[in-house]
Amino acid sequence: MSTLVIKNLHASVKGKEILKGVNLTLNEGETLALLGPNGHGKSTLLAAIMGNPAFEVTEGEIYIDGTDILALTPDLRSKAGLFLAMQYPAEIPGLNSADFLKASMNAHREKPLTLFQFYKALQDAYGALGIPFEMSKRNLNEGFSGGEKKRNEILQMKLLAPKFAMLDEIDSGLDVDAMVTVADEIKKQQERGAGFLVISHYARLYNMINPTRAAVLVNGRIAVEGGPELVERIDKEGYEWIKRELGINVEKEVDGSMNTVSIGACGTKVKINDKK
Amino acid sequence: MIRNKVRENEKTVLYVDEIPSGAHFHVASGETLKINIACFVNDLDGKIDVDVDENGNFEGALADFSNRNGKFIINVNLNGRGATCNWHLASLTGGDSKKVFETSVFHEDAETFALMSNYGIARDSGKLTFTGTSHIKQGSKKTNTRQEAKIIVFDDTSDGKALPILKIDENDVSASHAAIVGRLNEQHLFYLESRGISEEDAKRIISLGYLKPIEEYFSDEETLRIIDRAIEGGI
Repeated sequence: MSTLVIKNLHASVKGKEILKGVNLTLNEGETLALLGPNGHGKSTLLAAIMGNPAFEVTEGEIYIDGTDILALTPDLRSKAGLFLAMQYPAEIPGLNSADFLKASMNAHREKPLTLFQFYKALQDAYGALGIPFEMSKRNLNEGFSGGEKKRNEILQMKLLAPKFAMLDEIDSGLDVDAMVTVADEIKKQQERGAGFLVISHYARLYNMINPTRAAVLVNGRIAVEGGPELVERIDKEGYEWIKRELGINVEKEVDGSMNTVSIGACGTKVKINDKK
Repeated sequence: MIRNKVRENEKTVLYVDEIPSGAHFHVASGETLKINIACFVNDLDGKIDVDVDENGNFEGALADFSNRNGKFIINVNLNGRGATCNWHLASLTGGDSKKVFETSVFHEDAETFALMSNYGIARDSGKLTFTGTSHIKQGSKKTNTRQEAKIIVFDDTSDGKALPILKIDENDVSASHAAIVGRLNEQHLFYLESRGISEEDAKRIISLGYLKPIEEYFSDEETLRIIDRAIEGGI
């Protein structure tokens, strides 16, 4: 059985420290619900584990079975068994979905899949997630609806069969039927023995996938860990009790100021004396 | 490898490594003309004018992989109601070549449509410029025009410029442009890498996405094979 160990993890975005010493352990076969108010570091934690270059790890350690993950590039972390279903999957122009899936599946194997094996796996996966197979011919995430993007993330999880899958608000943008489909796939991966680290704001998804544990991330640290009853309590009561019972002052949402964006005038309506 | 095929009956004109200079085409009412240009070793210099009558369609594609200098100009005049223009360009500009592509369309009548789509990769000391004007003339109501120019700049010494221009002299029209010049997107690379694809392969895959789509506009199989080799071998 594999174990993912996070020790005293500090991470910053653009020089601002978001994670301030996270300690967390996840075993294969466990499903951990990661809870916490907005802006307190949940997504940052998942991104830092996967190695997103926008997040700088300034201190701490992450191990899978003793292997130092922080020393690895994201592709090697993927090969070590990590998977991140992203909150906002990138749209890649001109990249055919099937070509991308083939490249990522083959990256995880010594011998490339035969065309037959690949298409068989692809058809099974699209079928299981209720995605029309024609979508495999479209450019990766380009013009996909929010729900299609999320299903496409779970499709990749199914095809790559990771040891540890991290899901960042995978249920946002999904309608009820799609959520059932996604939850069914998560359950299959749980049966296979995968470990899950799941961020969601809604008890509905958690109720479907039955977390074995829960942890609450407040002010960039794990404030409290417990069993699945924590999910229910936070769903009912919010985060107010954390201050009351644990004496932790829940900081206001970390400043989410946007970068300055300027929109210039593109089309100019002018009278043109053209000889044409 | 220098060939120049003109198949009059098929209305697809194919130029391989011979860019026409001063060629003029006339698309009659309701007709469709396709021009395919592929450039592998020769200079780019050339100029094409196309006139399109009522409900006529012009479909042009240029695949450029030469390491030479030059300026290529295409002007498409949509002279009759309902005339359309679809233009696609992919350029791989490396070595120390300097290339300028000027792709313009003139909407002379109502309900005309044009898409000018230019994609490129500048690397080594290559300099790549996309420019061109989409001009909606007076009287061209319900016209729809779009200019796209996207360049990935690979190396510190390479350079890309995208200067699409919209001139609009009529109301009740739809006009848009997209100009993107920049390094490979870090988050795009991360997405691919997080799926196990190495950084090197991810860069290659994303670059292919800029060039490969040009293939769908070419019909001559031999030319397609050479384009495919140029793309696969060039990146």
